[in-house]
Order: sequence, then C-alpha cells, then structure tokens
Amino acid sequence: MHSETPEKLVPINSWKHLSTWQQMLGRVKKVYTFRFLIRQMVKTSITRDYKRSFIGLWWMLITPLLAVVTWVLLQGAGIMNPGETSIPYPAYVLLSTSIWSFFLQSYQVSSNVLINGKQLMVTTDFPHEVLLVEKIIIHLIHFVIPLVLNLVVLVFFGVSFHSWSILFPLTLLPLLCLGVGLGLFVALMRVVAVDFAQIADKVMNFLMFLTPIIYAPKVEVKFLGDIVALNPLTYLIGFSRDLLTNGGFTNLNLYLVFSTLSIIVFLLGFRTFTKHEQQLVERLINV
Amino acid sequence: MKDFTNQPLLLSVRNVNKKFTKDIRYNMYYGIRDMLLSNHRNYMQLREKEFWAIKDASFDLREGEILGVVGANGSGKTTLMRIISGIYNLNSGEILARPGQKTTSIFALKSGMEPLYTGRENIYLKGSLYGMSKEEIDNQMSFIEDFCELGDRLDRPFGNYSSGMAARLAYAIAVATRPDVFIIDEALAVGDSVFKAKCFDHLKDYVKDGGKGVLFVSNNVRKVLKIATRVIVMDEGEIIYNSQEIRKALQFYIENCLRTLTPEKKAAKLAAVTHYDF
Repeated sequence: MHSETPEKLVPINSWKHLSTWQQMLGRVKKVYTFRFLIRQMVKTSITRDYKRSFIGLWWMLITPLLAVVTWVLLQGAGIMNPGETSIPYPAYVLLSTSIWSFFLQSYQVSSNVLINGKQLMVTTDFPHEVLLVEKIIIHLIHFVIPLVLNLVVLVFFGVSFHSWSILFPLTLLPLLCLGVGLGLFVALMRVVAVDFAQIADKVMNFLMFLTPIIYAPKVEVKFLGDIVALNPLTYLIGFSRDLLTNGGFTNLNLYLVFSTLSIIVFLLGFRTFTKHEQQLVERLINV
Repeated sequence: MKDFTNQPLLLSVRNVNKKFTKDIRYNMYYGIRDMLLSNHRNYMQLREKEFWAIKDASFDLREGEILGVVGANGSGKTTLMRIISGIYNLNSGEILARPGQKTTSIFALKSGMEPLYTGRENIYLKGSLYGMSKEEIDNQMSFIEDFCELGDRLDRPFGNYSSGMAARLAYAIAVATRPDVFIIDEALAVGDSVFKAKCFDHLKDYVKDGGKGVLFVSNNVRKVLKIATRVIVMDEGEIIYNSQEIRKALQFYIENCLRTLTPEKKAAKLAAVTHYDF
C-alpha cells in the first residue's frame, strides 16, 4: 500500500524528538501565536458573569468594596487587638491576606487548568498553555481591583507609603512563580491522582496558618515559631508587605534565595506539565 | 468515477495503534505509572483492563479526495480523527503530513462557543480557537456571513440558536480557516437539507482547488454515497475495508458491521445503497 516514498511528508508530531526544554520553548512561541485567542478568552471570561446584569462590570468593584466596609467596621468596633505589628493590626491583616490570596489563587487557577478544559481540549488542537495564561491574566485582573481599594483603606488606617513601595508589584512575581509552579504539578495529579490533589489543596489552605498573615511574625509558641522561621512564604509575603508599608527590605537575602527557588519550582512545574499533559488529556473523564 | 491513486499524498496514516483503559481506577493508575516510568509508555502489550481503540490502522489521503469514514458506534472513527488532528497521542505508528499543512477538524459543533454571546462574537472566539488572528477573521467575515446565511440572526445570542443554525455557523467558521485537510466528524448530521446540499456542493468544489482533502466521518450511507470518492470501513478499531468503489464498500459495511440490525432493516439499507441514484 505504501509503495511510494513520500519524501515531502513529515511526521505530524516531529516535535516529540526535541528535548523537553526545547519543547517548552516551542510551546511558549506557539502560545504567542495564539495571543488573539487569549485576548478573546479573557474578555469572555470577565464579561460572561456580568452579561445578564444591568450594572455589569461594576460588580467587580462592588464585591471588594463590601469586603473593605467589613474591615473598617471591625476596626471601628475595636474588636481587633493589635499584636506586635508595625502597622495597625487590621491594615496588617488586610494586606497580608490579599498577598496570601494572590499566592493561593495562582496555585488554584493553575492546578485546575486541565480538569476544567476537557471539552475544549478533546475537540480542538490548540496549545493548552493558552488556558493557563488566560486564567493567570484573569487572576491578575481580579487581584488588582480589590488591591487598589485596599490601598485606599490602608491610608485610612494611617499607613503611609514609601517611594520604594512602587516596586511592590514586582516583588509579587516570585509568589506567582511558586503558586503556578506548584499548581502545574497538581494539575496533572488532579487527572490521575485525585486523592493527592485533594491533599495538596488542603495543605495549601492550611499553610496560611503557618505563615504570619493573621498573626505577627514573632511567635511565642516555640514549635510554631520554628515552622514560621523555616517557611519560605514568611519571607516572600513579608518582604512584599513590608516594602509596601515602610519601604524597607526585610530579610532581603532570604527573600532572594526563596525567589530563586520559586523560579526553579516554576520551571520544573512547567517542564513536568509540558512532558506529560498531552498523555493525560485522554484520561480526563467529563464529570 | 475519478481515480485518485496517482494524485500526490496529503496525509499518510501508517500502522497506528492506540490503546485506552476500560476501568476508571486503572485508567488513573496507568496514568501515574506512565508518568513516573515514561520509558515504558509506548510498550505494545496490553495491560490488564486495556483495549485497542485503534489497531494497526493505515490509509492514505490524496489531493482531491473526500474520504468517507464509516463504522458502527464505538468502532474508533472519532479516536482516529483525534489522533490525526493531534489531539491524542498515538502508542505506535506514525502520521505523515506535508510540513506546515493545516488541518481543521469539527467534532462537536458547540464546543468553544459561548451561549451568552452573539453569533458574531462567537465567530471571533471560535476562529481564534482555530488559530486565526483578528485580521484573518475580519477578512473572512463576509465569507462567513454569506456562507451561513443567518442574516441579522448573527447578532442574536448563540444560546438561542436552533441546532441547525448552530451547525450553519460552526461549519462556516471551520470552512473559513481554509484547511488543507478538513476533518468533518458527524458535523453535518444536523441542519436542514438545503444547507447540507450547499455544504456538499461546496466540499466538492473545495477539494478541486488542489492541495486539499477531506475526511468525512458519517454513519449515514446516503451522505457518504453522495460525496465520498473513497470509503474506509472501521470495525473495533481496525480498518477492515478501503476502496474507491463506494457502493461495494458501503454494502460491505452494512453486511459486516451492523450486527444489531434486523435482517429486514439491513435489506432496506442495502437497497438504499444499490438503488441510490447519483
């Protein structure tokens, strides 16, 4: 049947012979050619929820506003008693939790990227990282709006900003890398090792209590204090928070070490994802 | 009947094998195993609870051909098309195509479409999903408008479309991508007869352009008779018949693959094939 030598034909999956690092580079380039799709998907995702509403996108402002009002009321009621925090306690918690949720959301959107995209992935051939980039962009948009409001509230709480505070957005990048890197590992696990993914989710949520977010960095309990001191998030979150509120570089060296580690985690996560995700797409079952 | 065997090759599917797992927990277990021991991923023995979804499938698609792919439900047609589209990996074998050749496939009409958005907005969404840029879609817009014949209904929410209207739009967008290999998997099962006739005429013209071929997956013998220039018959993951004699291939399909059909229904189907008037 195949008597003729098809010198003009090449295998459709010839990229498979490339090394995983080369494949990763190839995927980044491919995602770039699909940038119009990303734009369309971001636009759709943002507007979809508000499509049937008359006040529309204003909801994106109303929800965080209500949260802020809660904080202000709590402050006014005086129920919140400060610990050893450099800024008023409610401001401290407000800022810390929003940085924490930035990290947690980075993890969550990445770790659900395969499980939520099945219908699209089995009907169309497109780079699946498009879904990841889309989700990260939406995550960033959903982070920035309440953040701006929170900054206003911080001023209300008596926090003053420093000129170095301008670097604040940049200092969040390691948290994004760490969240997405871990998320990409778990994204694969969510397809074939559901229990593992569930445990990972629980651990991520629990990490909040092992990080100085709702309490001050100096912990009296020895055991917890040790964990907090060893926890990379203590430094990654603490650095961003302190830079924003007093312009200082708290534990700069440790921050840089853990930032480098975060980038490595991201690269390893992306590498594992690149290597295995296509194998796992066919194992997804619609639920 | 035109003979295509001397036309240049567009696509060559060679000894392709693909296995799936029957059991949901084994499916996950093998998933982890293959990740951790990635060297063993492609080994050719079946493990417990696995089966061949595609078994040693080989066929060629040549320029100008409209290849009808028939087979009972679950015979592996869609799986094979997904492998060719690059959606699924294969366990062994190879698929050869021209470098940079564009393949567009329609599997589920509504996939990637948003019900709350208008038909026109969905053109941009679906078009970009096929890898088109904004400029390309803008350039194709009037073609899509003409082809789907939806008129001002194009500016109504897609979620309110009837299945026929949805089919018109989805099909028009796929055609607008100008693929070299066009895979149509049951996508013309819905839609009214006028539109179907228009699609068939268009497909016939389309493959005459040169450098184009179509894989047309359908269980409807009449449609295959109407349009195919060659037929492959699939059964339990294998290609068991491959011929340019459409009538014979379809008779073979009806006689050998439709096991659940009563003798009377079989006879009626066979008669439809024999007496079909081109």
